[in-house]
Amino acid sequence: MLTADAVVKSYAAKDAAAPVLRGVSLAIEPGQFVCVVGRSGSGKSTLLNILSSLLSPDAGSVRYQGRDLAAMTEAERNRLRATDFSMVFQMHHLLPYLTARENVLTPFLSGLRPVSAARRRRAMECLDRVGLADKAKRLPGALSGGERQRVAIARALVTEPRIVFADEPTGSLDGDTGTHIMRLLTELNAEGLTVVMVTHEPAYAAMASRVITMRDGSILHAA
Amino acid sequence: MNILTIPLRNLRRKLLRTLLMVAVFSIGVASVTALLELSKAVGESLEEKLAAYGANILVAPRAETLSVSYGGMALGDVSVDIRSLAEDTTLAAITGIHHQDRLSAVAPKFALLTRVRDTPVGVIGVDFDQELRIKSYWHAASGELTPGDGQLLAGAEAAARLRLVPGAQVDVSGTPFTVAGVLGPTGSGDDAMLFADLHALQRASGQENRVHFVEVAALCSGCPIDEITEQLAAALPGTDVKAMGQVVKSRMMTVDFVKRLALAVSGVILLTACVMIGLSVFSSVNERKNEIGLLRALGYSKSAIFTLMSLEGISLGLLAAVFGQIAGYFGSFRLMALLDLGTAAPVFLPAQFAAVFAAVALLSALASLPPALSAARIEPSQALVML
Repeated sequence: MLTADAVVKSYAAKDAAAPVLRGVSLAIEPGQFVCVVGRSGSGKSTLLNILSSLLSPDAGSVRYQGRDLAAMTEAERNRLRATDFSMVFQMHHLLPYLTARENVLTPFLSGLRPVSAARRRRAMECLDRVGLADKAKRLPGALSGGERQRVAIARALVTEPRIVFADEPTGSLDGDTGTHIMRLLTELNAEGLTVVMVTHEPAYAAMASRVITMRDGSILHAA
Repeated sequence: MNILTIPLRNLRRKLLRTLLMVAVFSIGVASVTALLELSKAVGESLEEKLAAYGANILVAPRAETLSVSYGGMALGDVSVDIRSLAEDTTLAAITGIHHQDRLSAVAPKFALLTRVRDTPVGVIGVDFDQELRIKSYWHAASGELTPGDGQLLAGAEAAARLRLVPGAQVDVSGTPFTVAGVLGPTGSGDDAMLFADLHALQRASGQENRVHFVEVAALCSGCPIDEITEQLAAALPGTDVKAMGQVVKSRMMTVDFVKRLALAVSGVILLTACVMIGLSVFSSVNERKNEIGLLRALGYSKSAIFTLMSLEGISLGLLAAVFGQIAGYFGSFRLMALLDLGTAAPVFLPAQFAAVFAAVALLSALASLPPALSAARIEPSQALVML
């Protein structure tokens, strides 16, 4: 479904390019819950961003359903992010001036056509799914950190994606709230959603069906 | 909910800044609206005031050297020879030109020299209806201002010199005329003349259907005086058609100056307002790079981001267009009162409102163009640093 083949990525540094990924290859099958773990600077977030089409590799390729992401037009990549892929970031990144429900609907607000009733219903279902239907009209400022992250997960779910990429979604949360978020992701995965998550918490990684350990830009271990 | 929701909610979130921006832009639009209204009113007021000074085109038979003058026409030795025009064909030709709708008065004249108590005096036959249109400064010092058939109106100086009062009898070419009224002093050649009904004087002199010259008033701001003059000359071969150039030019220059000044000031104000809108959207883009990156990560295209940021600027502009035009329209009443523009008053024109509205929308869109393009160029990968 989603494969990376010999992916190389460097970031420009003062004197020379600093390699971040050194020929990473992996394959993610539908329905998997893949956790990418490793120390800071091991390249796990960069790998996630390349897999989710937010970054382009310097060398190697990423294929989704057989198609090379680099060969896609920008419009196709936009469409991919709007339909098949979804992102959950470490910080919730909700728009502070929209209510929880409106934030969930954000992916549908890119056109002049008003959001359909079906999509509004879908947004409420997603909020209900993360246990926040009763707080749909609240602004992010009136929600706790865990609730905001759950709204961000609802926003990721509203487009009915095939894969959710989560970059340390529990990183800014306390232990209980983090566990609650992980339980939610596990449940969603159990319902068929593919989850690719970056974390540095071994306890959370243990909840995944597959763990990829990275070190210095390479895969050290893939279970 | 649609793409408008995001910019509108963002503007509402930063309410104070939004209100400030709308207020500043509204002042710009209000100034433009007020200046537009003012320039229209000044033009009309000038037209109204300058029209009171008389005609601006003279139609006369082609003549050589004449020594005595009246009303801009050289009469020469009027007792010997004055060339004349046929009244019916001349007036028909004048009122038949293409720009006939721009003619506010067509005043034919028939001039005659007579003697009253052995003093030579000029008698001018006029169409009083037309004459009073171009000589709104005429007023009766005594008696009637519009004499009937067989009656005369005496200029102030002529009345004093010839001791004419209403009811006095004057013999013109053997026909008795009664003085119906005496004009107040005008400071013009009219003071030394007697005025009678055109057709009555023609009959008295036995020269029916003859006129010696015709004064034409074509006073309106933006009137194509040159074209009107050309059309009159073409319609009346064998006549001299003279635009009283200096008067016309000075009128037009005054109106043009006011309009150009209004345009220049409006331009500067709008330019300043546009720069402010642009800076506001630029600042918004810089503050919201994070948000733009997120939207790109959610699948928003570059054009959607461009639209989103442009809509923010356009929304500010449209709000300012509405408030500014309302403020400018009502403000122009006060301004006109302060400037003592007489009866001139602003006129609400829906087409002008729509045109200003559209122009402000366009300017806002143009002002938002650079920041919106800059926002559209933000790549999701750039924003990842912040996400």
